[in-house]
Amino acid sequence: MSLNLDKSLIGSEFDHTEFPPVTAEHIREYAAAAFETNPRHLTANDAELVAPPTYVVSLRGRHFMPGNLLTVLNLRRGFDAGKDIECGVPVRVGDVLTATSTVHDIYEKTGRSGSMVFVVLRTKITNQRGESAAVIDQKLMMR
Amino acid sequence: MTNPAAFEDVDVGDELPPFHLTLTPEQVKRYAEAANMPGGRFMSDELAKAEGLPGQIVPGNFSLALFSRLITDWNAAATVERLSATFRGLVHPGVPLIVSGVITEKHASDRGDFIECDLVVESDAGDRLVTGTATVQLRA
Repeated sequence: MSLNLDKSLIGSEFDHTEFPPVTAEHIREYAAAAFETNPRHLTANDAELVAPPTYVVSLRGRHFMPGNLLTVLNLRRGFDAGKDIECGVPVRVGDVLTATSTVHDIYEKTGRSGSMVFVVLRTKITNQRGESAAVIDQKLMMR
Repeated sequence: MTNPAAFEDVDVGDELPPFHLTLTPEQVKRYAEAANMPGGRFMSDELAKAEGLPGQIVPGNFSLALFSRLITDWNAAATVERLSATFRGLVHPGVPLIVSGVITEKHASDRGDFIECDLVVESDAGDRLVTGTATVQLRA
């Protein structure tokens, strides 16, 4: 049975955050905690140091999702169902990154346990030159 | 890390050498802090149970990072262009994990030489907890 989802939030922007300059310390801290082994993420000098591909997930804006998302969809809570990272230019020490997040999609799937709602939140991360550093799609399964 | 494999040296069906690990609660907490994921569910059993979970869980982002390491360990010169994961089950510290992958496609274009990979994090009991795919650029 269709849930007659209100899809009016699709396309809406819910966060825009500029982060402090990327530091060598945080790249190395993240890479070590993530068990990365490549020297270019860990022991290269600051000028050669490159953040690992998943470093961008550590950039958290002020809002994880639209404040009214659950109300609009008449749902209670969401679970992290998946993530997709499209990598852009490498993230380096000193980069000033900006994240802009929008509701990319809302759709319904019916499985053995009934209907589930999926929400895709898209975060575009750009550097100080306007180049794309990453596009992250976070898929939430909601009930 | 192994010596970088060139595009012409790899074939569909080649496996990325798997690695085994068992994450400790402290390693999970350390990752969550480095990744700015302050949720209690990632910090301790006690805080996770307060959120209605059976115990501390590993952030999905950590599994993505393990996929990234799998690729790096296999080929230090590889560049990850896209990385995807589907979180199929909860991953808890203390559970022996196997991270593995296989090359499913090769394609060359004006932009370079690429492979597609299927990836998985599974428990030693055979539960496929996280599945994923990657698009990876290799040197010619």
